[in-house]
Order: sequence, then structure tokens, then C-alpha cells
Amino acid sequence: MKIKKLAATLLATMVTSMFTGCGNDGGSSGKSSSSNSDTSSNVSGDETVTLRLFSNLPDRKTGQGLVEQMIIDEYMEENKNVKIEVEALDEEAYKTKFKAYSMEGMPDVVSIWGQPAFLDEVVAAGVLEGLNSADYADYKFVEGSLDGYTYDGTLYGLPRNTDVQCIFYNQKMFKDNNWEVPTTYDELIDLAGEIKSAGIIPMAMDGGDGWPMAVYLSDVLYKIAGSDYSTIVSNAVKNGDFSDKNIKKATELLKEAADAGLFQNGYDSQDYATAMNLFTNGQAAMFYMGSWESSMALNEDIPEEIRSNIRAFTMPTVDGGKGAATDIAAWNGGGYAVYSGSKVKDEAIKFFNYMYQPDKLSKYGWENGVGMSAQDQSEYMTGDETELMKQIVDIVNNSTNISGTPINDCGPSAFKTSIESEIQGVSNGSSSIDDFLKAIGDSCK
Amino acid sequence: MKKLYSNKLVILSLVLPGVLLFIFAVLAPICLSIYYGFTNYTGMGSFDFIGFKNYNTLLHDSAFWISMRNSLFLAIGFICIQHPLALITAAVLDKLGGKGESFFRCVYFIPNVISVAVIAYLWKFIYNPDFGLLNNIIKFFGGKGDINWFNYDTAIWAVLIVLIWHGFGWGMLIYYTGIKNIDTVLYEAAAIDGATSIQTFLRITLPLMKPVIQVNVTMAVISALKQMETVYLLTNGGPNNSTQFAANYLYQQAFKAFKYGYGNAIGVVFIIICLLATAVLNKIFEEKDVWDVSSKKKKKVGRAA
Repeated sequence: MKIKKLAATLLATMVTSMFTGCGNDGGSSGKSSSSNSDTSSNVSGDETVTLRLFSNLPDRKTGQGLVEQMIIDEYMEENKNVKIEVEALDEEAYKTKFKAYSMEGMPDVVSIWGQPAFLDEVVAAGVLEGLNSADYADYKFVEGSLDGYTYDGTLYGLPRNTDVQCIFYNQKMFKDNNWEVPTTYDELIDLAGEIKSAGIIPMAMDGGDGWPMAVYLSDVLYKIAGSDYSTIVSNAVKNGDFSDKNIKKATELLKEAADAGLFQNGYDSQDYATAMNLFTNGQAAMFYMGSWESSMALNEDIPEEIRSNIRAFTMPTVDGGKGAATDIAAWNGGGYAVYSGSKVKDEAIKFFNYMYQPDKLSKYGWENGVGMSAQDQSEYMTGDETELMKQIVDIVNNSTNISGTPINDCGPSAFKTSIESEIQGVSNGSSSIDDFLKAIGDSCK
Repeated sequence: MKKLYSNKLVILSLVLPGVLLFIFAVLAPICLSIYYGFTNYTGMGSFDFIGFKNYNTLLHDSAFWISMRNSLFLAIGFICIQHPLALITAAVLDKLGGKGESFFRCVYFIPNVISVAVIAYLWKFIYNPDFGLLNNIIKFFGGKGDINWFNYDTAIWAVLIVLIWHGFGWGMLIYYTGIKNIDTVLYEAAAIDGATSIQTFLRITLPLMKPVIQVNVTMAVISALKQMETVYLLTNGGPNNSTQFAANYLYQQAFKAFKYGYGNAIGVVFIIICLLATAVLNKIFEEKDVWDVSSKKKKKVGRAA
């Protein structure tokens, strides 16, 4: 009898402790949700409102992450009852967790990308709050910058930056060797030969990640097809057929550049940092990257002789192409959105709108050299900007057209993954151009 | 006390946590994987059942088969290069004795102590065609030193070298422990009979190490199939999937390409292949006859683990 009692007690203890374990978890989440619902009903009151921000900017001390944090701190200072909790992960981890969150409830304000490769699935899942575009008429957004965030007339987020694809170059190295900035694609290829024969890497390329090469392909395609670029790309993605002669020609030009040795040896397996280091150490004459890297000119880790000589130009024109020299590859990528199921939605939208006041993201971004905003920044120019920044502003101001989203972000994520991998194969010659075009077409179906 | 342990309620209370853990942490995820493997789930929103479409796609997916081929290469590399070297090194270490023995034992184990992330970046720099150690050594000896070690055709070999080097310490340590457990009387008897070192190794060490070899080889094959983190950090499967491994490919498809259903189908096939590999290895080892030195009779050796 004693043994039975003891056994029953043991079993009861075991089961209770297990349920207690589960119960605690449930209890805490229940508690947090109840506190959330309390706060939602008292948004304008004195009770503390906790907003959760999910960000893809883990570096909170410099660059864009610092700008984001500055705005958060200011908002909390002005709204004493609001506490903003930030969870920041780098891009890949962010996108993975974003998906997990979408299944079980997301933070109130989230980073997003206004490109089909990311946003199509997210909008279809119904996790983003629809916004009224008329509310943002006075926010000085650059024309066309909201297009990527609009689905069936509803706005689902706002862009943060305008990204311009640049070819950064070392001006001093160019001068010392009497190299000229190329004005045509043929000149660029010839220049690659000259630079290479001088024992220097012509252009540092982050080929290991795939996307910079896909942007290169888009850049060249835009020079070939001009204003037809978006139609050609969207038709190709829609039909899963990339046999268009313009796309084929652009791929040939990419391969020609790789064969001519424009990129460093082993570019197809080297990452962002390695490619950038080749340029900032003076081993490469050019670096193919977006305008967000214009802060290189302010980076004191880069030797003064190099950082003060960094300049930029855009992809030169292609013979017989429709794109002019002033038609540039530029787009609005990252931005923010509000979670549709947020328990503190009113406060989330209030904070979201606060971030986009022209004197916040746009102004602070400019002052911290993080590149061009998606909003008009001209009034914040002081004249003390670096030569590189001024040059990029000129490139944008003098542009006659902009390309919009790069090709790899124009289709579903499966297409993005495919093109960013297959493009390594076509450029290094391990797969043919036709096989490449077929493989990326198949990934859209 | 004995009565207490024979009470079914007590047994249940002791076994239950383990069983529940197995059900919720192993069995349920596998069942869910099988379920999602039949869907076109993107990881978000709604989804439809698409039957065996994912599996059909997988059959024709060249990247998946490249990843399987690479796993096979790695398993062969482990069995034919890493383990013979590890076994010989362990035998030599055993004979070394003194401070040298413990020094080299530590040296060979160092790669296993270092984090995988550090290992991957270390080798990235060693292999770099522009400023890497390997090319600089070639330049030092008068060569051109501009080899792209990670080019499409040779990248997999470069990756295999890193993986074989990295896992060497574990294999060596397990063999070393196994050798230390062999009764020294056998070696003394062999020495009296005038056996050479090679004869001792082949006739005493090797046969008595069979169970250890079996465990090590099984673990090596499974780790070759499961390979993910080093490859993810070193090449992420590139260029153009030439260094792709199944686990990395699964991750890319499920979490980057938003093909969660397809990723699960890969997972299911992956589990089946791992189970088959383990079963085949157990079968192979089960049927092997070994010479039992102590009884001077042939006898069957049981399962490795």
C-alpha cells in the first residue's frame, strides 16, 4: 500500500511538474497578451504602451541602425508612456524569423523590402496593415518610390532609401595610370585589360553572394533595353521565359566581362567583405556596389589616401542600346511596415508615421552619410558632404530615368534563389547562357 | 526498493518524460515534415496539397543530386583518407609516450576545439586567390600563385580537405582511446615472439580496434550526410551549387526560396537516406568475421553501436 502511495505521488509529481512547465509558458504569454490588450485600450492614456520593432539593422552604433535608434530614442523621449523594444537581426536571419513570426504573430513595426521577391508572399499572407497613400502626400517621397510597396492600389509599407548602383573607383589610381572613366561598355572591357596588365584587379565583385552579379545583369540590361526594361523583366518572370534577346545579350555582356578578367580571380566564391577589402586596400581599381557604401569616404579604417580618392560612376552605355548614360540603375529597397494583427496598432502607426517625417529618417540618414533617402533630401545638404556624396547626388539629380527593382528581386523568392546561384555558373562558364536562361525561367513556374 | 522499481506507475513516471521528449522533439517534427512535404506551403499563409509533386521535382533537381554526390565524396574521403590517417596517428602516438604523446594529442585535437565559424574564415583566407596563404607559398617557391582554389571544378576538393582536416582530431582521439584499452600483455607476448611494429599493428591493434572502427565509420558517414555549417560558412554551396550539401540545400530552399513544402520533402528523403545508410553500415559490420585474438577462434562481431 505504501509503495502504491509512493508511486502515485511520484507520478503525480512528474505530471504536475511537466504541466507546470507548460503552464508557466502559456501563463507568461497569456499575461503578455493581456497586458498588450490592456495597453491597446489605453493608448492615449498614461499606461505604458510597449511597441515591438523588428529590424534588419543589428548594428545600432553606426550607419542606418544608428539612425533608426536615434529616432526610437527621440520618440520615447517625446512619448513617456511608450516603450519601444527592438529585436534586430542581420538580413538572412531576419527573413527567416520574419517567416516564423508571420505564423504566430509579428512585432508591431517590421522592416520589409518593397520588392516582389520578398513582398509578394508577405502581402498574400495578409500580415501587413494596409495604409492610405493620401496620408503621405506631404512626406516628400520621390516620385515612383512607393510603387514597389503598392498592391492593388493599397500601400503596405514605406521605403527608407533610394539605392543607386555605382561603380566606385580610385581616382588617384586612375590619374596615376592615365586611365579614363569609361563611357561605353567596350571601353570598360578595354580598361579591364589595361588595369590587369598593370598588375591590379580591375573591379572587385562580391560574386559569392550572387545578388551583386544579378544587379550587374540588370544594370547592363537597362542600358540595352532602356525604358523597356521593366516590361521585359516582368513578362519574362510572368511567363517563366527569359529567352528575350535583350536578356540574352545582357548575359553575354556579363560573361564577356568575366572572361576579359574585369573581376578578381575567384570572384564567384568571394563575399562582400573580401571584395570590399580588395578595393579599400588599393588592390582593386574599382568596386561594384550600391550607393549605401558611399560612407566608405568617411570610414577612418580605410587609409586616407584611398578613402579621399573614392569616386563613382554608373554603368557605361552599351553600343546600340536604348539606355542613355543618364539612365541609371536605382531602386527603393528596404523600408518599414505595420503588422496588421498588432494589439497596439494605433500607436504603431503613430510611431511609423513619426519615423517618416521628413526631418527624421531622411535628415538623420543624410547627416550620417548612409546614402540617399526615398524622400527629398535637398534641404538638408550643407555643402560639407564628401566629394563622393556630392557626386552621387549629382548622378541622381542628372538622371533622366531610373530602372526600378533589379531583376533578381522582380520574381518570387524561388526565382531569386535560383538566379543568384545560376548566375555564378553562367559567368564562370560552367553552364551555358541558354541553360542559365532556361533554369531561371523554370524557377518562376 | 526492488518492489518500487517493478511498479508500473513508477516505471511510467520515469519513462514518460523521455517518451514525451522523443514524441514532441523527434517524432512529431518528422510527421509534420512528411505532411508538409506533400504541400506547396511557402511558410506563410495558406497552402494546397500537391501530392507527390515535390518528390517528383526533387528527382529531377540537379542541385539535390550534386549535394548527394558531394556527401558521398565526403563519406569516401572520411573513410579512405581521414580514418586510416587518424588510426595510424593514434597508433604512433600510443607508442610515442612521454610529453611528446600528450603534446601531439593536443595539437591534433586543436581544430575540433576551434569554432566552426573561425575554421571557415581561416580557410577562406588560406584559399583566397589574391592574398591567401597557399598562393603566397606557391609564389615564394617561384610559381605564379594565382590559383582560384574555389573554381567550379575544384571547389569541392578544397571544401573536402577542410572537412577532413577539421574532423581528424575526433577520429584520432576515439582511436587513441580504443588503442589505450588494448591489453599490453598482448603486445608483450608479440614482442617476445619477435613480431615487428607493423605486424603488431596489423595482427593485434587493427583486429581489436574493429568495434571502434565500426562506430567511427558509422559516425563519419552520418556526419558526411549531415554536413551543413562549415559549408554554409565557407562557400554556401557555391559557386553554382558545386559545393552544395543536402542540409544546406534544404535550408536554402525552405528558408530563402520560401519553398517550405519542398524543403520538407528534401528533409524526408534526407531522413530516409540517413536511415538507409545506417542500416547498410550495420549490416556490413554485422556480417564481418574477425579474428578474436584472445580465443584464437573466429567469431561473429555484433552491431557497432
